[in-house]
Amino acid sequence: MKSKSLAAALVCLCVLALPATASAKEFILTSVKPNTLVLVDAAARKVERSYALAGDGSPLGIVTSPDGKIAYVVTNHWGSLIGIDLDSGQEVFHADFSHDDLRVRNMFGLEISPDGKELFVMQSPVRLGQGEYEVKDVGIAVYGTDAGLKATPRRVLPVPRRTTNLLISPDGKRLYAVGWDVLTLDPADGKVLKVDKVLNWDRPDQAPPDLFGVWIQYEQAGIFANPYYTTRAGADPKDPAAARTGMLVLDLATGKFTMSEFEDTSAIMFSSVVNPVRRNEAFSIYNTLTKTDIESNRLIKRVTLPHTNYCLNISGDGKEVYTAGTMGDIGIYSSETLERIGQIDLPGGNDMAGSWIRMVQR
Amino acid sequence: MKHLKPINRKAEHLDRLAEEGKVEEARVMQVVNGCTSTFDPGWEVDPFGGIAALCQPVEADLYGCSDPCWWPAQIPDTINTSPNWNADSPSGNRDWRNLQPVFRKK
Repeated sequence: MKSKSLAAALVCLCVLALPATASAKEFILTSVKPNTLVLVDAAARKVERSYALAGDGSPLGIVTSPDGKIAYVVTNHWGSLIGIDLDSGQEVFHADFSHDDLRVRNMFGLEISPDGKELFVMQSPVRLGQGEYEVKDVGIAVYGTDAGLKATPRRVLPVPRRTTNLLISPDGKRLYAVGWDVLTLDPADGKVLKVDKVLNWDRPDQAPPDLFGVWIQYEQAGIFANPYYTTRAGADPKDPAAARTGMLVLDLATGKFTMSEFEDTSAIMFSSVVNPVRRNEAFSIYNTLTKTDIESNRLIKRVTLPHTNYCLNISGDGKEVYTAGTMGDIGIYSSETLERIGQIDLPGGNDMAGSWIRMVQR
Repeated sequence: MKHLKPINRKAEHLDRLAEEGKVEEARVMQVVNGCTSTFDPGWEVDPFGGIAALCQPVEADLYGCSDPCWWPAQIPDTINTSPNWNADSPSGNRDWRNLQPVFRKK
């Protein structure tokens, strides 16, 4: 009996020690106008719950706490970050960026530490004078998630202007700032640990690459992938091979960074997501859904979408791709065949516009 | 630059750098930081010289591009000066007829 009790106790302890995600269900988090956060049951193909956010403006960036209970959303015309408890719908965190004579806006960069204790928010301040605006230095404002409803930054990390996106390594020790180059920063003090060149790359025979990295959707594979475009110096503009499309790939765990071309430019792609199961597969989106192999650098398949989408994400089992952004529906595609296998209509048919789409286990 | 006349200090600086062959130093920001820095003529072609690679339908792109002042025509700035311009029209595809020009109040 004693050994049975011990075994039972051990089983209980093991169950308790399992991460909260072990039996968790997968949801999609996105938003629609006007100022509404939307939680979607991906498997059931239905909207689970909508959250009317206080104030004006449509949401932009979305990150979630590691336990999937709180969503942090940029809203109020990109001037505030609010945290919503997804169970109660209550606001549990609120930071207004502007203060005194500074008007401060966030443009895209938003990240949360893996332990859920700190939020990293890219901010662009302007001092409003009597008759002039004074553009101030940009920076990454760091907030404690326990800062409540009148949160102010703990510290501000300096970064170059034009930094658009922020991503953090799984161990929380490296913060990647995506801009003209990808900087690896120490999240504690902003010290630059490494620079991976992008626009400043050392390729004299190619024009500086153009990329549009404003959507973050790496959570399933832990890999940031983003399409880029370049032209060959001196090439005949009529030569189809003069313009080339490639993929920037950053493994957040290892810091491995690559930029490789896979086709003569024949389609525009705004953002990408990597399959967490078949990790060589990347899916990219705009007017088409494109599947590429980021190991062999080749185009696998491309299909036309019913309308433009800006962003996308993928299921944890790697089987379904979810297309989002612009209008009011999430398209569901087979990652194997790129066949459209479903659609989820969002509340009111209202626009997602530039909102992100994130996957959350809860 | 001979057909354009600078009318403020920034433009004069750009003009001077162009004469010195250093125009790259005055390269515009990659990320638009406010609608006053958007200077598009009100029409757009795609990188292939056509329009097929623009957003489809055009209304799908309206709010995604106008919220950050990327829209290629001059429309109200919803970040700062006209935040409620599209507040009653949450679907660009369905509600675009409701959108109105705005006039600054003196």
